[in-house]
Amino acid sequence: MRLTDSTADMHGRILSVSGDDHFMNRITSIGITEGTAFQTVRNDRKMPVLIYLRETLIALNRADAEKIEVEAV
Amino acid sequence: MTGSIALLGQPNSGKSTIYNNLTGARQHVGNWAGKTVEKNEGSFTFNGVKYTVTDLPGSYGLSGNSDEEIITTDFIKSGKSELTVVLVDASQLERSMFMLAEFARLDKPAMLVLNMMDVAKDMGKNIDTDALAKKLGIPVLPFNATDTKDYDKLKKLIAEELKKPHRLSVKAPEGKADVKADSKAKFDWVSEILENVTRTKASDYKMSKFDRVMTRPILGKVICIAVVLLAFMVSMIVMLPFAGVGQMIPTLLHDPVDKLLTGWNVHPWIVNIFSMMIPNTLSFTISMASFVLGVNIVFGFLEETGFIARAAYQFDGLLSKLGLQGKAICPMLMGFGCTIGGACGTRVMDNWGQRMLAMSIVWSIPCASIWSIIPVVSGMFFTWWQTMLVCVGILAYVIVSMIIVSKVFGRKLAPIETRSGMIMELPPYHKAHWKHILKEAFFKAWDIFKRALGTVTLVSLIFYVLSFSRDGNVNNSLLYRVGTTIEPVTKFFGMGWQTFVAFLSGAFAKEAVLGTLNAVFMGGNSVMEAAFFSQGTSTDTALLGTAMSQTISAAEALAFMFATTFSVPCLMALSTTYKESHSLKWTVKVALFYICNALVLSCIVYHIASLFT
Repeated sequence: MRLTDSTADMHGRILSVSGDDHFMNRITSIGITEGTAFQTVRNDRKMPVLIYLRETLIALNRADAEKIEVEAV
Repeated sequence: MTGSIALLGQPNSGKSTIYNNLTGARQHVGNWAGKTVEKNEGSFTFNGVKYTVTDLPGSYGLSGNSDEEIITTDFIKSGKSELTVVLVDASQLERSMFMLAEFARLDKPAMLVLNMMDVAKDMGKNIDTDALAKKLGIPVLPFNATDTKDYDKLKKLIAEELKKPHRLSVKAPEGKADVKADSKAKFDWVSEILENVTRTKASDYKMSKFDRVMTRPILGKVICIAVVLLAFMVSMIVMLPFAGVGQMIPTLLHDPVDKLLTGWNVHPWIVNIFSMMIPNTLSFTISMASFVLGVNIVFGFLEETGFIARAAYQFDGLLSKLGLQGKAICPMLMGFGCTIGGACGTRVMDNWGQRMLAMSIVWSIPCASIWSIIPVVSGMFFTWWQTMLVCVGILAYVIVSMIIVSKVFGRKLAPIETRSGMIMELPPYHKAHWKHILKEAFFKAWDIFKRALGTVTLVSLIFYVLSFSRDGNVNNSLLYRVGTTIEPVTKFFGMGWQTFVAFLSGAFAKEAVLGTLNAVFMGGNSVMEAAFFSQGTSTDTALLGTAMSQTISAAEALAFMFATTFSVPCLMALSTTYKESHSLKWTVKVALFYICNALVLSCIVYHIASLFT
């Protein structure tokens, strides 16, 4: 599923991230890389998705969050 | 003997706090050659040796091709600094060590500072710094950016390292052509290094109470707005005692200086400079600096606690339409109180382009002084419900003006390709360190006072020359001559010479507008007094209303109100913008745009309104 489809408190793992190099650089340098475990903290309509990953609370805008495939663990 | 170091770290790594504490007042701000990225350089002296410090622009990595990343990489490669101090956040060690993985490839002398050790400790995290130093081959310093004692250790270590610098002994992460594989290599490198250095147990994340409320979609926004409005009030309270003293200066000095110099038979042109203009300029600048002090205290607090990051999360979607980061909501709301506050509140923005764009947009927001003029002037020509309509019309045009400004300047200040959606960390709620906030706020306020005094005095002098008349009669001032000469032109824009002169005085100080109207329509005081000695004048708005409505049409009044509201902010806000942006070119560019925009708007409003009256 996409990150935007995850629900609050779901624990998951990043399956794949796709986008152009600019986006890939931004998203990976903040720590979102394939295989990383995360927890969805908040996912409200029209609001950025909040996830907890690598001991950091990260806000991700929805358009970019759609480019991230995740699975629940 | 001298030495030079550079500070490298991700946003929220505490880099600017360390930079400010290291260098104190010895800072220089400029721009990186040919780039709209701010360059911060400072220095400190330790044991008789002077060290220059370059604060490299903050970014999460070095591989992307943003201006910040290119500048940082080039600077480190150039070897202009002999030592790079890499800062990482100990409480988010794994993620922030990514910067060191990036740096490792550049193979330059370095030392590592583990900042926020106190937070890490509170989280129950143990970091074996000796083991880490051994693995890396460079010294590692556990650090607390807000603990003054730690700075001595830092300075001492820097001095030692500059004598005998170390380079990373561990092999840099292997480079991969594919971004994805490359990042993986870097994070694998970090994991390998942190093995046996620290242990992180995977635990369930629980949002703090603060965050549970602050991230609610509607409640969070309401709280953000309320907090910024409260912040404005607190800044006003901080400002009051200082500004109060400042405002006593003109009243106290006017009569004695006037008497003394007149007694010496000094020409009134000179007398008024010393009895009115200079005391008033001093008073204005003190008010401005004390407001800047208040704003810096409250914004420093809001920033340190993590509030600003939450506001950014709440408003990013809305403000991205203007090309701005969500954080800009804080200075923008501040702008409804005072444009100076809005301009210096843009300190929360991440980069220079965003800061300049936010300041330009904040100029569109009518400040409290404008809101105190408009209903009065409107009331002279219109009924109460028409006045309400005028206010609604102004509010509606605020949005239009912001959109125009973002369209005109946004392309250059926040280029489309750099406008990417928010990918941001929300740092954990931190307790505020008051000592540090106050120190920085006083430093900033003093700095702006020193640097703005010259600009303000110069412009005041120009306005003084224009408004001076020996007998107080407006008709004997240069302003009158200029105003009446170009009246055929200003008439086209909807303003006769009287309203045009008042419009000009609004660019000086919004508080001067009513006094100027009083001067040009009633001759009750001089324009000079309105601008420089508002304490000495009082305006009877009922009488002024009668005089104005007999002289000018309602259409002209309406045009004047729109022109005054959407022209440049007052001189103080202008010079704050100049000092905060460090760019005269951009400040003038935006100012010219606002003046033209105000005249065109005035023209349109006048000609449309004339159709109905």
